[in-house]
Amino acid sequence: MAVGALDNKNVIAPIQVSDGYWKGVLRRLMRDPVTMGALIVILLLVLMAIFAPYLAPADPFKSSMLRRLRPIGTPGFPLGADELGRDMLSRLIFGARLSLFMGVTPVLMAFVIGSGLGIFAGYVGGALNTAIMRTIDVFYAFPSVLLAVALSGALGAGIFNALVSLTIVFIPPITRVAESVTTQVRNRDYVEAARASGASGLTIVRVHVLGNVLSPIFVYATSLVSVSMILASGLSFLGLGVRPPEPEWGLMLNTLRTAIYVNPLVAALPGVMIFITSISFNMFSDGLRSAMDVRA
Amino acid sequence: MLFYALKRLIYVLPVAFGVSVVCFLLVHITPGDPLTAVLPVDASAELQAQMRAIYGFDKPLPVQYVIWLGKVLTGDLGTSIATGRAVLTEVSRAVGNTLILSAVATIIGFFLGCLFGFVAGYYRDSAMDRLASTLSVLGVSVPHYWLGMVMVIIFSVQLNWLPATGAGPGGSAEWAWDWDHIRHLILPAVTMSVIPMGVIARTVRALVAEILSQDFILALAAKGLTDRGIFIHVVKNAAPTALAVMGLQLGYLLGGSILIETVFSWPGTGFLLNAAIFQRDLPLLQGTILVLAMFFVLLNLLVDVMQTALDPRIQRG
Amino acid sequence: MTELADMQQSVARDPRDRGGPRQPLLSVRGLVKHFPVGKNLFGRSRNVVRAVDDVDFELLKGETLGIVGESGCGKSTTARLLMNLIEPDAGEIIFDGEVVGHDISLRDYRRQVQMVFQDSYASLNPRLTIEDSIAFAPRVHGVSRREAVGRAHDLLARVGLEPHRFAGRYPHELSGGQRQRVNIARALALEPRLVILDEAVSALDKSVEAQVLNLLLDLKDAFGLTYIFISHDLNVVRFISDRVMVMYLGKVAEIGDAESVFAQPQHPYSAALLASMPAMDPDARTEQAPLYGDPPNPIDPPPGCRFHTRCRFADPVCSQTVPSLTPAGETQQVACLMRQYGSGHSCIGLEGRA
Repeated sequence: MAVGALDNKNVIAPIQVSDGYWKGVLRRLMRDPVTMGALIVILLLVLMAIFAPYLAPADPFKSSMLRRLRPIGTPGFPLGADELGRDMLSRLIFGARLSLFMGVTPVLMAFVIGSGLGIFAGYVGGALNTAIMRTIDVFYAFPSVLLAVALSGALGAGIFNALVSLTIVFIPPITRVAESVTTQVRNRDYVEAARASGASGLTIVRVHVLGNVLSPIFVYATSLVSVSMILASGLSFLGLGVRPPEPEWGLMLNTLRTAIYVNPLVAALPGVMIFITSISFNMFSDGLRSAMDVRA
Repeated sequence: MLFYALKRLIYVLPVAFGVSVVCFLLVHITPGDPLTAVLPVDASAELQAQMRAIYGFDKPLPVQYVIWLGKVLTGDLGTSIATGRAVLTEVSRAVGNTLILSAVATIIGFFLGCLFGFVAGYYRDSAMDRLASTLSVLGVSVPHYWLGMVMVIIFSVQLNWLPATGAGPGGSAEWAWDWDHIRHLILPAVTMSVIPMGVIARTVRALVAEILSQDFILALAAKGLTDRGIFIHVVKNAAPTALAVMGLQLGYLLGGSILIETVFSWPGTGFLLNAAIFQRDLPLLQGTILVLAMFFVLLNLLVDVMQTALDPRIQRG
Repeated sequence: MTELADMQQSVARDPRDRGGPRQPLLSVRGLVKHFPVGKNLFGRSRNVVRAVDDVDFELLKGETLGIVGESGCGKSTTARLLMNLIEPDAGEIIFDGEVVGHDISLRDYRRQVQMVFQDSYASLNPRLTIEDSIAFAPRVHGVSRREAVGRAHDLLARVGLEPHRFAGRYPHELSGGQRQRVNIARALALEPRLVILDEAVSALDKSVEAQVLNLLLDLKDAFGLTYIFISHDLNVVRFISDRVMVMYLGKVAEIGDAESVFAQPQHPYSAALLASMPAMDPDARTEQAPLYGDPPNPIDPPPGCRFHTRCRFADPVCSQTVPSLTPAGETQQVACLMRQYGSGHSCIGLEGRA
């Protein structure tokens, strides 16, 4: 093998089909243990959310006045019981459903809307671009937490309103990134060459722009999931998101807040889940960025 | 420079205008109109119409906006429905407390962030770097309201060193720089400082690493400059950006203090917002958000102008 | 010269030809492009860069017209205007007797005119394989995928890249010379009649540059092409061009047969520019620096003749009268008051050849 490899100058080279960009990204990701670890944690959390009914030892809604705030390790209550005597382990498992949903959905929605807006603004340029980006600047003028709280405060508590508020919070940053990446790509010579060939704007966007801008926008969006998790749970923590008795980590933290004097360890548990999720998304996003950040 | 500052100021005006529109519309995106929250459920249609006319809710939205803006510009943010006091009075009392909390948190975060960031950037790829980098990732990933609860559990409930809630003894809402008040500030400020700490550490690490990799540093070292000399060069080059990030972080904390203030019952704007939301006190909600957002816009402007003034490399005409 | 005549004959045999070998392939009349720069507080521009200011020239069928000039003289803007990648402020382009956008649609015109850019990497989409990049333009014009890919493979072979080795690769897996060959193939995919080469070989190593230049000459013969060749490298322009156009600050200074322009430049700027060329013969080395300083700011070009601020023959009249292109020598046209009888320049008739 080694000998053959040295002497291939005069041999007709075999058909060389290079592996695509994504294969390279995947290969680099696989070699990064921290990112893979984070990805595995995220996958486990998702699996936990999907199979919650099979994994949870007890009914997360069944309360019992007698078993209020049982400590960790109580027989039948491996992670204790909450302020209404509901099994903490089951509620934490079921909580993954709403918590992940509330954290990921706004970023997804904002990714779709913000990319669309930003790519449009970036490709069209001119006065339309200015109009769109100045409007976006206005929303940028609010700190994200304040905007989320203001919107859900005005709209009123509830899952749907919280999702709408958070989506609005994440649209401006994603639009900005999308616009700036698209503007860069638009001025590349290959887009000029495509225009010179007489292709329509839509064709150019589809063939030459999307492929080059979606991945950086996507990487940026993944870095927002961690923030979104914290904010979504934060809204529920304030009583603005999910409403009782649904299990959701932020809301659980809120209702257990008064229990810190009685059973602090149990009271802090939902926050640990939020922390684990948020940090996993953060590290995965970092790893993804460096894996994709190779000029290809 | 003065021209640049003026230009930025003029650029900020439309943004400020947009912010005021958003704040105005906040009240109008609520289901029903703002009066439904105040009027008794069985109020007659006649009374409702009368009230609507008094508050001007019967006029078209743009007209209402102009009237509202006129009042805001003269300092009239309306009257709180819950307390009956002027919104401006309520907000200005709370803003001071939030400012103290955010400023102290930002300063703590800035020093810790610079320390970690500098160590990580200077000893890149060492164990120190990994430790500092991990700390900064933890800082940006931690749900800080939960961290606040953990701090309370450890330092108030378990160790009983520091008070858990409030800004002063006996639930005092008036701030003073004495030990009784400072004791109350420590936990919320340290908790809050984790956010800017993470962000600043990341920024400083990248800055230091970049500056150290540049040719002029190598040239200085070759000329026999001591470590201390190099350190001064790095600080000089990194300072404008680090300070700018710090300024922006202060803005985020001012606006985003609601979660921490809720955890620690800190009598600031976040606390006020919380109360406004749950009492459906829409004038108070609107006024608080307007003031905080304008603070943020102005702070951004200030940071931008200062950074331009400090950094000779940025030439903006 | 007969070579060019042969070339003109063969180009005129193209079934798409309309006006015969004598009709210029391209006539450019009064082309103007001003770029607004800097905005005042009210968003209105205070200044314009006069990148291309009233440019006229003709491009003969089958020839290679070289365009030279210092950076910022409007060479590349002219190329982009000819491609209609940027909208001209004024002027018209007549392609083989038909006014572009009037008698011939922009889309049909673009099929017949293609361009090769300087940066071989930036002009290829990094996410497309070589064959997809080449096949893109034919696909846009309704050619089936199978046929477009087939054409891409043929063209790869024509530019010296074995299709079975290169078709499936991505741009970053190729060398600069290989990428520029791909760009040439891509430009040829629509079977254009005119190819604009904007500093197409400037970024390549000297050895690779020579190969690509020879390739360009071969392709020109094989496909009956006409070239506009833009470069700052005078040696390369001299090698490849039939005629040369010298530009200075958005205006044409001189245009004429390459050999005459290089042997007997009529414009003081052309003379200075050519004198700055590194000579091959050490005895012929330049004694004095022919051009002083940088070109003036195109935002606020000098009045009258734009070159008068750097010209050794400048007269008071040069800062007042704008020279127009007048015939000089056998084949040349030059925009210089010294060649314009009755302009009032003191050097007229002195044959003070620069």
